[in-house]
Amino acid sequence: MSEAFSYYSGVPTFIEMLSIAMVAILIFLIGMILNMKKWGGGSIKAFLSAFIKSASENKHQSIVTSLVLDILLQRRLLRRSPFRWVMHMLIFIGWGGMLLLSLVFAAFEMLSEIGIGSFDLNAIRNSFDVPNEVLGYLLLLGLIIAIIRRLVLSEVSKRTQIFDWVLVLGILFITVTGFIAEGYRPDSVTAWSFLGADAALAQSLSLFHVAISLLFCIAYIPFSKYMHMIAAPLTIIANGGGE
Amino acid sequence: MADEKKAVEKNIPEIPKGEPSIKTDVIDPISLMQYDACTRCGECDNWCPTLDAMKRDMNISPRDKIGRWRNFMGKNYGLMARLFGPRKIPEEDIQNFNDHLFHCTTCGACGTVCPAGLNTIEMWEATRQQLVLRGNGPYGKQSLFPKLIGEMHNPYMKEQKDRLLWVPDDVKIADNAEIAYFTGCTAGFNMQVLAVSTARVLNKLDVPFTMLGEDEWCCSSALIRTGQPHIGDTPREAAIHNVEALEAKGVKKVLFACAGCFRAATIDWPRLMGRKPNFEVVHITDFLAEQVEQGKITWEKSLEGKTITYHDPCHLGRHVGVFEGPRKLIASMPGGNFVEMERNRELQRCCGAGGGVKAGIPELALGVASARIKDALDVKADILSSACPFCRRNLGDGRNSVMSLETGDFNKRDNEGNDMQVEDLIVLTAELMGLSTKIKSET
Repeated sequence: MSEAFSYYSGVPTFIEMLSIAMVAILIFLIGMILNMKKWGGGSIKAFLSAFIKSASENKHQSIVTSLVLDILLQRRLLRRSPFRWVMHMLIFIGWGGMLLLSLVFAAFEMLSEIGIGSFDLNAIRNSFDVPNEVLGYLLLLGLIIAIIRRLVLSEVSKRTQIFDWVLVLGILFITVTGFIAEGYRPDSVTAWSFLGADAALAQSLSLFHVAISLLFCIAYIPFSKYMHMIAAPLTIIANGGGE
Repeated sequence: MADEKKAVEKNIPEIPKGEPSIKTDVIDPISLMQYDACTRCGECDNWCPTLDAMKRDMNISPRDKIGRWRNFMGKNYGLMARLFGPRKIPEEDIQNFNDHLFHCTTCGACGTVCPAGLNTIEMWEATRQQLVLRGNGPYGKQSLFPKLIGEMHNPYMKEQKDRLLWVPDDVKIADNAEIAYFTGCTAGFNMQVLAVSTARVLNKLDVPFTMLGEDEWCCSSALIRTGQPHIGDTPREAAIHNVEALEAKGVKKVLFACAGCFRAATIDWPRLMGRKPNFEVVHITDFLAEQVEQGKITWEKSLEGKTITYHDPCHLGRHVGVFEGPRKLIASMPGGNFVEMERNRELQRCCGAGGGVKAGIPELALGVASARIKDALDVKADILSSACPFCRRNLGDGRNSVMSLETGDFNKRDNEGNDMQVEDLIVLTAELMGLSTKIKSET
């Protein structure tokens, strides 16, 4: 493994990185199993049967239309509040985009580790720098709007619970740690490079960022407000979608 | 102590240690999942008619109710419950949740505006049933529904043999016809002007129709809406009885002038029976709109320049999707000035009568109705029309309250001298077709 690659990942070895990911995925899966059992009255099969039945009976539109218009573009939210739609789309695109890039890069890493294909991981990594940066700022902007909205609008502020704050502040913390880790990179060209070049610190911070990202943004999903990311799309499909 | 006292009062069996405080066995998996799909955005709270009528008492906010039930489920079926056993939920919390859940007309506005597309009507009804089974629900006089509907086949303590007492001599009812008119308990017993108007309009249009008469049973909507469908299995029996009786008559189309019965026949009966009936279920307003399009309706009177608005009944509009038929009918009425209230169609404000609220919490029903009356006053309506007996009754009560009028006789046509008339479209249709809307006792 090259020095640059090791540095980028922020983890000394790919195995350690993989281990954290596996733990996060395992916790996520356990949580999802518990949730599906909860929904199915103790039986995952009962839930899945009910879901398939409901989705096939409620066909106001095709599943593709539901996926694109109702789930990805969130037109139901747009219809109710363009402001909240912008806020939510910034978070959704930022979060989802970075997850997607992380998965793609992880796939390249994995293929390299098991000897399938020969990739210039540094080049791939560098090509992800700009999109990651842009997505990070989209996410940060969405989170700042969400926080200000919760603090400033009295009606929203009064009804905000820890349940809501944990998610928003948790993602904000992870986003900021990502920017800081990036800023300490010796080759950082971002606005955060004012922090100074410190390869060792950048690596430690990067490890921290990756670990909490996996644990908070993957493992924690089934046990938190994050769950709406899975349950809401499933609800839209089960109810046939539509405006 | 307070919890135990409440539980004893409610006759709730003591929960053995280590057992969950709540069960979820009658709540369908999709509804249970939907409790986890709520994003807590609060859009529902902006549209909830009961929340407005309760001066924004957030205990009855849809968002908060979803959050509370989700917490209950988490305490009894979540990760910690799996590891260490279910946590006891204080009886008072469950009873309060139950009471707040029944402060809801199940109008479905919350689900309509929900960005996550939650089918809240199904969630509320299933959760109500779970709480009725537990011993917490229903609320107030709603507990009388099972006995009345189960034994008398109507909620008004009337005899089945009196089902056709409303029929005046001039109305012709065929023994057999392709079309049937399902009268419903309210129009047949307590709001006869709707039944006589419907029958006379059909006669005038030369549409032969038959009826079940003494064989007609209550649609059981009130039991389903209040979480009591399991008691005596009455709704299922009623669905089977009514559908089989109508099928035995060989009818091809069944007309409903009651939005509640129409909703039950369209959604609840097929679900309860496990099959669709062998006839078409049509609301009278859609049927009349078709007649208008075919040029079969001749108007003999006019609305005389009156401003008319239309209130979409929840059971007709949001629940089933009938929005345009009533509007086509009104548009064809001569001499009127039709205006929409600010909240109309799928975003309409409920009249306040549904979900058992009129029976269980009449002051809440009146509060919601009063808000709707103000909506109509805002557009300076002379006539507030609707297409549902319950809307007619509750909006009439709201109008009387807001305008300090005496309670009228809802069996008869609304007083034309009222500053704002609250009247059903079928009654207005009959009048404008030059037909009498006098009920049997007036003729």
